[in-house]
Amino acid sequence: MGVQLSVFLENKPGKLEAITNILAAARINIRGITMASEGEWGVLKVLVSDPDKAHEILKKQQFTVSERTVVVAIVDDRPGALHDMLLNLSSRHINIEDCYGIVLEEGGKAAIVLDVEDYPEAEKVLVENKIRVLSDKELYAL
Amino acid sequence: MYWEKELETISPPDLSELQLRRLNESLERARNSAFYAERLSAVPAELKSMDEVATLPFTTKDDLRSAFPYGLLTLDLQKVVRMHSSSGTTGNPTVVFHTAGDIDNWGNLIARSMYSTGVRDRDVFQNMMGYGLFTGGLGFHYGAEKLGVMTIPIGPGNSKRQIWFLQHLQATVIHILPSYALRLYSFFEELGVDPKKDLALRIAFIGAEPHSEEIRKKIEQLYDIKVFNSYGLSEVCGPGVAFECEKQQGLHVWEDYFYPEIIDPDTGEVLPPGERGELVLTTLTREAMPLIRYRTRDLTRFLSGSCSCGRTHRLIDRITGRNDDMLIINGVNIFPIQIEKTLMAIPEIGRNYRIEVHKENFMDRLSVKVEINEQVFRGTLAELDKLQGIAVQALKAELGVTPNVKLVEPSSLPVSEGKARRVFDYRESEKGGL
Repeated sequence: MGVQLSVFLENKPGKLEAITNILAAARINIRGITMASEGEWGVLKVLVSDPDKAHEILKKQQFTVSERTVVVAIVDDRPGALHDMLLNLSSRHINIEDCYGIVLEEGGKAAIVLDVEDYPEAEKVLVENKIRVLSDKELYAL
Repeated sequence: MYWEKELETISPPDLSELQLRRLNESLERARNSAFYAERLSAVPAELKSMDEVATLPFTTKDDLRSAFPYGLLTLDLQKVVRMHSSSGTTGNPTVVFHTAGDIDNWGNLIARSMYSTGVRDRDVFQNMMGYGLFTGGLGFHYGAEKLGVMTIPIGPGNSKRQIWFLQHLQATVIHILPSYALRLYSFFEELGVDPKKDLALRIAFIGAEPHSEEIRKKIEQLYDIKVFNSYGLSEVCGPGVAFECEKQQGLHVWEDYFYPEIIDPDTGEVLPPGERGELVLTTLTREAMPLIRYRTRDLTRFLSGSCSCGRTHRLIDRITGRNDDMLIINGVNIFPIQIEKTLMAIPEIGRNYRIEVHKENFMDRLSVKVEINEQVFRGTLAELDKLQGIAVQALKAELGVTPNVKLVEPSSLPVSEGKARRVFDYRESEKGGL
């Protein structure tokens, strides 16, 4: 389990760039990024090397940002691997707010970032099913 | 408890007698001006009762404009010590003149008002209202000094410096625009100052912009202080015309200085007590520029019953807007304050908003931009969708019109250091041709 940042953004040119600029200046590395948009506004989710620091900096710059706990599971980089993992969650009626994946460079693996309301339960189910879940330290050092 | 016990708790018959005497003096002074010499030509030399006020002619803002600059002045310029002007955007500005006696009376009204909320000479007062032609800054400044309060004449803006003074001089009382009180709050976190712990603030006076009870409560909660509503207009002096006492049950109109009436803005008829209409004021002590039945265009009503503070001066309700603020959206009358009240009752909505009216396919389209409250944002798109739905439904229920609600980032709406401009009506420019 670890933390990713959720940022409320108006859908306008230059908004995303303002955030990447702030993070770069603070020497914070971005591990993963995804954006869900509703047309006029959206929520940016970003996985960074130091979420607490990034949270503080963005807050000071008056962004609407919140820290959200996510479960990051490691699956094999092969057809059907994600499906197998999701089956474990859906069979236990665990609803996923949203998710995205990052293919890891080494070892033919992928990290799946899962934003789940009931994250302790999600992690428990995955561990029971022998799926590797990253600790926060592993996550920030991806 | 009282700054001037005898006058503040005067019995209604005594008050009426005092008012009549002062009214007749005012009429006599007024006739020395070119404007009133003509306007009051048919009015008898002396009125016998306050009931006759309703027979006097009105004075309007347009009258003030057309008499610019000296048409309403009753005496020689050598007796005048000050001029103020209201923030007009079209036509001549309205200019208002004061003798030394006028300034002294005005200061006394502010001192009385501040005292009634619990301000004492040991307080430290940071005055964040604009100094200059605008009456908010200098009016309170003179009043606070009369009360003996140490006054910091900082004026508005420069939020970091404001907070520095609040913290290091341990100011206990502020005077601030309600919109600025909300905006100032967003700077505390950045500076690492906790307004509830690191400041000695206990009282704020807010005025110059119509605001809802919800905005007052929000400011009280954010700073953990008592917030008092102050009403005035530059034409009759400035702040200090009507003021909330420590009971916060409405605003006492200082009736030994002003005679208030509530009229139907369309017919000009005086309305029965309790009915909402336009406030009309007659000045009773002003020397340089008395005004007879001045139409304030501010909408309010008399509140019934007497205040438990013991003051006998009648209470008016908070101003709900100006009759020229009213928006007509596809035939439905809407006051901006209804929108404010509705939005501020939703906890997920932040401190600032903007109302826009557009013309689309010959129909009026009401659009409201609201900042979201960053304190309660949990980070999901779903909660934002839900919030938008809640805001649309709440506004529809209050207004009878379905608005378009847009969520915007905190601090993204333009702010001004003067009075907040919340309503932007683009219909005239969007009418288009056939």
